[in-house]
Amino acid sequence: MHIPDGFLDPLIAGLFWVASGVAIGIAVRRARDKLGDERTPLLGVVAAGIFAAQMLNWPIPGGTSAHFVGGAFAGILLGPSLGVLAMTAVVTIQALVFGDGGIIALGGNLFAMAVVDVLVGYAIFRALRGVHETGAAFVAGWGAITVSALAVGLGVGLSSAFAYELGLTVSIMVVGHAVLGLIEGAITAAVYGFVANARPDLVLGRFDDDSLSPEVGL
Amino acid sequence: MNALVSDSWMRRALLGLLVLVVLAPAFGWASGVVGYAEPLENAAEATGAADAAAPIAPGLLPDYAVPGLDAPLGTLVSAAVGTGVTLAVALGAGRLLER
Repeated sequence: MHIPDGFLDPLIAGLFWVASGVAIGIAVRRARDKLGDERTPLLGVVAAGIFAAQMLNWPIPGGTSAHFVGGAFAGILLGPSLGVLAMTAVVTIQALVFGDGGIIALGGNLFAMAVVDVLVGYAIFRALRGVHETGAAFVAGWGAITVSALAVGLGVGLSSAFAYELGLTVSIMVVGHAVLGLIEGAITAAVYGFVANARPDLVLGRFDDDSLSPEVGL
Repeated sequence: MNALVSDSWMRRALLGLLVLVVLAPAFGWASGVVGYAEPLENAAEATGAADAAAPIAPGLLPDYAVPGLDAPLGTLVSAAVGTGVTLAVALGAGRLLER
């Protein structure tokens, strides 16, 4: 999913930077009154956990492998603004420290994994949690990563390196990640179920944005 | 930070992070066995973009490896460093934004 440098045309890379810059800027402003003695450590732990989980490449017989991306999970657990911040930390460190995803392409990777994956996952979860909470987490993980793949497919498909083969890049990205996304959905649902069971007060995505649960003492 | 570590959920969370870090080398080995390819690489192959990748900054620990260390150990060090740095950056950013 991580776009290396050289894949995106400058115009596309720039548009991705603008879009993710605006979204992250809004998230930073909205995050201010959501942080506190309980939630700041949670932000740190979720970001670190997603970094570590992304290193676990699940081998799939037949020559492919996928790793958990975690944007939807961050959105569900932390809510949209803190979720965007957590994923911004993960994706930026991957690019700067490990060369996973390019520097010019960082705007695109932030847009796909720290903005679209988080916000779409959160929206799907909110829409479906009345039906079935764990099921909603599964669909959120699966659906959000598929939409993120669409964003990457569009970005590279509109770039010269990919010969502007938009139909081909979009179909390979969307179909590939729709299949791999079943793993994303399963992990999202399993970890969500575990946390919601152990500490329901920590799952900020379950609360309405304007009426977040009060800080919970330990 | 000491106050954080004394919280029971935080201690369990840090233990969970440690387990993920220790698992990283095994997963790295297993995905190498099946041959690692993501849909984006497949799309690059299909459109002739595979050679277009031109890293302008490989990073301090390129590809989650430590220059001069063998793969399992390099992966383990990368996982530990990356997880620790992410924890510190996200915590630090969060503290800075608190009002």
